[in-house]
Amino acid sequence: MASITFPTPGLPVSAHATHATTERRWVRWTLIAVAVTFLGVFLFLPLAVVFSSALEKGFATYLAALREPDAMAAVKLTLIAAGIAVPLNMFFGVAAAWAIGKFDFTGKSLLVTLIDLPFSVSPVVSGLIYVLIFGLQGLLGPWLAAHDIKIIFAVPGIVLATIFVTFPFVARELIPLVESQGTEEEEAALTLGASGFQTFWRVTLPNIKWGLLYGVILCNARAMGEFGAVSVVSGHIRGRTNTMPLHIEILYNEYQFAPAFAVASLLALLALATLLAKTVVEWKARQQSAEWEQIIGEAV
Amino acid sequence: MSIEAINITKKFGHFTALNNVDLEIPSGELVALLGPSGSGKTTLLRIIAGLEFPDSGTVRFDGNDISARTARERRVGFVFQHYALFRHMTVFENIAFGLRVRPRELRPQRAQIRAKVQELLKLIQLENLADRFPSQLSGGQRQRVALARALAVEPSVLLLDEPFGALDAKVRLELRRWLRQLHDEIHITSVFVTHDQEEALEVADRVVVMNEGKIEQVGSPDQVYNHPASPFVYNFLGNVNLFHGRVEEDKTYIHDAATGHVVYVRPHLLDIARLPNGGSHFRARIKHINAAGPLVKVEAIAEWGDPVRVELPQERFRSLQLMKNELVFIIPKDVKVFPARKEMARAK
Repeated sequence: MASITFPTPGLPVSAHATHATTERRWVRWTLIAVAVTFLGVFLFLPLAVVFSSALEKGFATYLAALREPDAMAAVKLTLIAAGIAVPLNMFFGVAAAWAIGKFDFTGKSLLVTLIDLPFSVSPVVSGLIYVLIFGLQGLLGPWLAAHDIKIIFAVPGIVLATIFVTFPFVARELIPLVESQGTEEEEAALTLGASGFQTFWRVTLPNIKWGLLYGVILCNARAMGEFGAVSVVSGHIRGRTNTMPLHIEILYNEYQFAPAFAVASLLALLALATLLAKTVVEWKARQQSAEWEQIIGEAV
Repeated sequence: MSIEAINITKKFGHFTALNNVDLEIPSGELVALLGPSGSGKTTLLRIIAGLEFPDSGTVRFDGNDISARTARERRVGFVFQHYALFRHMTVFENIAFGLRVRPRELRPQRAQIRAKVQELLKLIQLENLADRFPSQLSGGQRQRVALARALAVEPSVLLLDEPFGALDAKVRLELRRWLRQLHDEIHITSVFVTHDQEEALEVADRVVVMNEGKIEQVGSPDQVYNHPASPFVYNFLGNVNLFHGRVEEDKTYIHDAATGHVVYVRPHLLDIARLPNGGSHFRARIKHINAAGPLVKVEAIAEWGDPVRVELPQERFRSLQLMKNELVFIIPKDVKVFPARKEMARAK
């Protein structure tokens, strides 16, 4: 912090704080107290409870709960679902942002609305959609059954539901960024002889990398934490179609609190790691956009 | 390489950016496309570059029809108004880009690329800034890097879109003189777009004056300035006073009402005197005097009520010792008379 020298030395700044936007002392402290209490009760306390409940019966029980085969299977399935959904949505998101941000075409606003659809639909409905399409009584059900392909109550259904629910994260993050960057650098690359792919790989992608990473982090957090849609299509078969959130629910419903919270603590850790990564990436992205602003600011 | 644009028409929705434009640019010339915003000059430049495709018409390089070729295939050097430098690459990488993206069999060796970039850095006098990023450069430096980047691929023509438009006045002046020198050294056919008539007249071999999607006049700076083909050109290339006039037997009469002709006279082609000299003159009352700058700007109200701008050399102004609100005689030294057109009424 830079130090500021005031014309009347010795007096603290707040002593004659007659600043127009400053409230009286008791108002300030009341507001701060309300905010801190709210944060404490609704955010910090639950987080603390997760970890304390998980470790309530000792560290050995905690580890045993995580090592239990069904828990391991749930972790594995969650990693598989996220591992497929996130790269695919990264690809879809970049493609959508590239198309929407760099080109004009009819139906563009319709496409943007469609991309937002998973945000506005309840996850349970998203799950039901897949049951209605791929389920036994569903649209493609008989055909799938005839060819012995299982989607609903199996891993493919879980992956599909996860992809659907996390679809908008990357695209939403990138579209405004790509739009704000314009097309001049791409045009410059083309006149210099670069092919379309070279232009994308060497010019467009480096310019959006921080925004992309940010979108991917959010997408991943949601993919691993998704409950509603996955719950509908999963069938809750222990050790086979349970993801971590579903496994936690089952344990909890069976009054196995310590194991439930042990698995929950993994998701909580994931959330904390996500927040940390998000902060770092946001900071990096701001740096990059500040440089960009500077270029544009001086140019205009 | 010579450039020909034949019968180019381009519309954006209902807006006609270019209306049947024909233009021929001989090899090795430095040509300015000059016009107000919306005149179509940038669109024409982008069509030549292949960044935009015309609705109809043909573009030829050295007589070959290249209309169907993409920007990538045309081998033009294009310099953007806002530089369009790759912001995640250093100056060195920016300049090397065009060489590095070549297909493997045409790509120069690493050492050759390095040598070429060094040569260009020397040309733009930024040898010690090779490792900087664009955000660490001033506007003038960025534009020079953009130029070096365009020249690195040894383009057949160099196209510049308002290259100095985003720079402050002093840097702009330096850079345009530098561009002129550079062109005298490398003789690459160059076209630059500008809305600044001073810039066009100072830098270009030939000036193409454009207005509302059409070319008004093509000529040397001397031709377009001293022998304007249309009222628009005369108006656009400098300050001007507009009067209604009537032509009778080689004589022009200035009137206070709309008549068949419009009389144009530049402020520095008007003189002020205390007494009529027997030739053409009219009376006016001085309203405002601004003595800052090489010419003294005098604003007066003519006897028929229209404002008149006069620019006098400092010595002339001092010898006259003009005062505000003084009644004087204004003597036109040279006027241009054009038949009145509908749009002139609007311009006024």
